[in-house]
Order: sequence, then structure tokens, then C-alpha cells
Amino acid sequence: MIKAILIFNNHGKPRLSKFYQPYVNTQQQIIRETFHLVSKRDENVCNFLEGGLLIGGSDNKLIYRHYATLYFVFCVDSSESELGILDLIQVFVETLDKCFENVCELDLIFHVDKVHNILAEMVMGGMVLETNMNEIVTQIDAQNKLEKSEAGLAGAPARAVSAVKNMNLPEIPRNINIGDISIKVPNLPSFK
Amino acid sequence: MLGYDISWAAFNIIEVMSASKFTFKRIGYLAASQSFHEGTDVIMLTTNQIRKDLSSPSQYDTGVALTGLSCFVTPDLARDLANDIMTLMSHTKPYIRKKAVLIMYKVFLKYPESLRPAFPRLKEKLEDPDPGVQSAAVNVICELARRNPKNYLSLAPLFFKLMTSSTNNWVLIKIIKLFGALTPLEPRLGKKLIEPLTNLIHSTSAMSLLYECVNTVIAVLISLSSGMPNHSASIQLCVQKLRILIEDSDQNLKYLGLLAMSKILKTHPKSVQSHKDLILQCLDDKDESIRLRALDLLYGMVSKKNLMEIVKKLMTHVDKAEGTTYRDELLTKIIDICSQSNYQYITNFEWYISILVELTRLEGTRHGHLIAAQMLDVAIRVKAIRKFAVSQMSALLDSAHLLASSTQRNGICEVLYAAAWICGEFSEHLQ
Repeated sequence: MIKAILIFNNHGKPRLSKFYQPYVNTQQQIIRETFHLVSKRDENVCNFLEGGLLIGGSDNKLIYRHYATLYFVFCVDSSESELGILDLIQVFVETLDKCFENVCELDLIFHVDKVHNILAEMVMGGMVLETNMNEIVTQIDAQNKLEKSEAGLAGAPARAVSAVKNMNLPEIPRNINIGDISIKVPNLPSFK
Repeated sequence: MLGYDISWAAFNIIEVMSASKFTFKRIGYLAASQSFHEGTDVIMLTTNQIRKDLSSPSQYDTGVALTGLSCFVTPDLARDLANDIMTLMSHTKPYIRKKAVLIMYKVFLKYPESLRPAFPRLKEKLEDPDPGVQSAAVNVICELARRNPKNYLSLAPLFFKLMTSSTNNWVLIKIIKLFGALTPLEPRLGKKLIEPLTNLIHSTSAMSLLYECVNTVIAVLISLSSGMPNHSASIQLCVQKLRILIEDSDQNLKYLGLLAMSKILKTHPKSVQSHKDLILQCLDDKDESIRLRALDLLYGMVSKKNLMEIVKKLMTHVDKAEGTTYRDELLTKIIDICSQSNYQYITNFEWYISILVELTRLEGTRHGHLIAAQMLDVAIRVKAIRKFAVSQMSALLDSAHLLASSTQRNGICEVLYAAAWICGEFSEHLQ
């Protein structure tokens, strides 16, 4: 079982915290303690650590990966395979990359809910739900479509943006039909 | 979120959860999963809302309700919603089935009486056509079996079939870990497992799977340690594969290799002996986790000849160690290694006493009582070195005022007590 999933940056600021056990009042302390343990690690040492005291001591392991400015830490107990969880972190980051297009820390700051939604497709209640990236992305896309279709007037700017993005400018003016008069327009060069 | 308490907003969160639009509902459930816990009073107001969402025609409404529920399910909620979730396990969409199966584990934890009626359906899901549902079912049963292995022995043949037919690495890993937990209870299972596991070890390219297979083979062999001769080949295979892991430049593999070796050490110390050089090399690794694992292995490595050199090496580490936990760990290990089997490996007790005195000079140790106990033990039992011991102790007492500062007082005072006792008891040797 996964006990907690934490993402924090190089200064210890939490960017995402998901706890699957009821740590009611100690969440901030756990984040600080975990940051303390993980930030001391060198670049080419192994990615496994014993958990700190607050999070369950030596029964729980911290499995982490460091990408640029962010630490992704999964706190697991002995029923999970360590190398498997390392793979899972990799899948998570790749999925974030696909959903956000070149994800960076700012995406995590401004779209926390989206990150939570992606995580919810992978890990549920502390157990691994899905490890196939394509499957996860399909579900996320379907849910995003559902959101967009519900958005009504508030979603109009977003729809306009995606319409312009998908427009194929050089193709449009070739045949303009105004009633009976058919005007043939010369091929416009594609402009970038 | 971020650890700040938002329990004042609980009722508002429930209002958002009951919105008809998916966008808002999703946000409501997310807030609930982050902030609701068993102490939240208004949580029982959610029961009907969740029930409505579980039977919603939109699969994503149901999905979002299941995901949210898994984070804040309470015994009452579990009792009320168990039936609805059980029906969902046979939903037409695999997306829902997967989530329903996985949440059943949480429901079982909170409301154990639901396990009995749900179990037959859970077993059916092990043979579900969708691989996601199948792996969710395997996941749940493995977790249940870890808590209570006896009840799930009867499923072993089914899992055996799954193990030999599945190609999904996650499912295989879970099943193999499960077998590792079951073998202590059923040695015949272990015997049957050795062959398919050895085949997997030879054929797989995934390191994670290889490691789990090796781990389970070790567990099997430990439970079968009646010493059947043809199993020594399997042990040799394991040790060989572990050596490859430890020699790998990837630190993670090194760590896991050392972890598994220490399991073998307990029952087959001789097989590990031949790799002493590798372990000693790992002691010098700059990664602290790896050094700690290598320390664990040292018990089986010592002999009369190399004890002094190993302890000398450990003492140099002690000097270099920055964190006090690591230093304390080293200290305990040094004492454990030296004192194991009734000081079997110590040839020169005077040397041992001087090591103990040197350890006393460490800053801020928490194990002063260990050192004190050792000194007393050795001084009482080994008559020959009493004179030497007393002279060391009196030197220690004389210099005590130089050693003791406020941070060190905890560790030092117990040792000083021991030193004083020794001097008093064997005062005939005092000069």
C-alpha cells in the first residue's frame, strides 16, 4: 500500500500532497521531515530511504525521484515492489508531461486540481489502479471533454482558443461560395 | 490542503459534491478526499449523495465518487454502501469494475463483515477478461492475504495458474510477493514453486520481477530449510544473481541486492561468506543507505582473523560520519559484532577495552549504557585483563572533566558509572 504521495521543490515547498492514511494534524511536519531526509541525498545514490519517524518509521520506505526542481516521493510499505514504484513515478511524470505539454513546476502550481485528477487515475486509496500511460491519458481526455461540454458561456474563450489552434488557415479561402457567384481565389501561401 | 485545517468548510464541500455538473462534482469530491476524515461530523450527510452518484448513468460521476470515497470511507459509510459497491463490481464498463474492486479493500478494512458476502464475486474478478480489473482483484486479494495468510491458502492453485499464464509484470510481482507470504504456512506449496520461479528468473528481462522472484525463492528455501541437497543449486543461483545486482553500477540494484542477501544470511551464512570482499567494498560506498545494508550483512562475515581489521574500518567510518543516527548505528553494530556468540571472535580483550574507551569519546551518543554494560561484562568475566581494564578506567575518570560537556553528559555518565564501579571492585589493581 502506498501511504502518501508528495511532490515538493528544492526548497521544501509542497506542490502536491496526497495522504492515503489519516495523518490528521501532522501533515505539514511529515512534509518537512521528508524534505529534510530527501534533500540530504546526493545525486547518484540509490532512490530508497527508510521513512522518517512521523510517517511510520522503518516499516515504510520512501521511494523518490528528483527531476530538475521537483522531488517526487512515494511513501510505501513492504507490500509494494520498490522497482515497480520507481517505474510508477516515471509513468506519472510522463503522463503529466503528455497532459500538460512539457510540464514544469508552474503547471503544478496553477493546475493542482488537474494533477490530482491525473493521480486519481493511477493510484486509488493507496493501491495502484492503472500503470498503462495510454489508458490513463484516454480517461483524462474523456473527462476533460466532458468538462468542456458542460462549460457553457464561461468556456467560450477556451473553445475559441482551441478552434483557432485547430484551424487550417491555408485551406480555407480556396473556394468561397456566395450564393450563385462562385469566386475562385488563388492559393494563398502558407504564412507562419 | 497543504496541511492546513479546513474542517470549517466541510458542509460547503458537501454542497459542491451534490452539484449536477461533473466539473463541480469532481472538485467537491477532491476537496472531500483531501480534508474529510473519521472525525468529520457531517460525513454521514454524504451517504445518500454518494449512493446517487454510484448509480449515475455517467461512468465518470460514478468513478469520481468511488475515488473520493476511497479516501474518506468510515465504518458507517462502508456498512451503508457495501451493497451498492458490490453490485458495481459487475458493471458493464471495466473502468467502473476496476475502481469498485479496488475500493472493496478499503470497505473490508472499515467494515469486516462485508468480506464474506463479497468474496465470491472478488474471486470471479480474478478471471475477468479486462486486464485492469484482473490486476485490481489480484491487488486486493494480495493485500488481504498479507493480513491473514491462512484464509487464502485455498486460492493458491488459482494464483499458480495466473502466474504461469499472465504476462503483466505488475500482476506477476504481486502474485509472487503473495506466494512469499504464503510459503511459511505450506511447505508443499514452496516445493512446487521453485521450478516456475527459477524459470522466471532465467527468462525475465525486468529487474523488478527478477528481484521479487529471487526474494520469494529465498523465502521458500528458508521455510524448507530442512536442508534438502538439491536446493543448494537454487541457493547458489540466487546468490549468483544477487551478486550481479550488487556489482551493478545502479545504486538501486545494489541496495536491493544487499537487502536480499541479508535474508539469505540468516539461514545459509556459508553461501554468503564467499562474497565477503564485495560486502566490505560496499562498506566504503558513499551512499549511506547502502552502507547501512552492508553493515547488516557483517554479522555473517566476521571471523577471528578479520574482526580487528573490520572494526578498525568501522571506527574510521565513525570518525567521518556526520549524522548521529548513523554513528549510533555503527556503534551498536561494532558492539554487536564483537560481542556475538559470547565474544567468540575476540582474541585480544585488551584491544576490545581500548576500543570501548575510544567509543566513549564520541559526541552525543545515545548508547552509553551499551558501552557501560560491555565494559562491566568484560571486566568481570575476563580475569586476566582486570589490571589493564582498571588502569584504562582510572585514566578515563581522570580525564572525564575534559570529555563531559552538556551535550555529552547523557552518554558519558553511564560509562563513568561503570568505570567507577570497576575501579572500586578491583581496587587491588589500582596504582
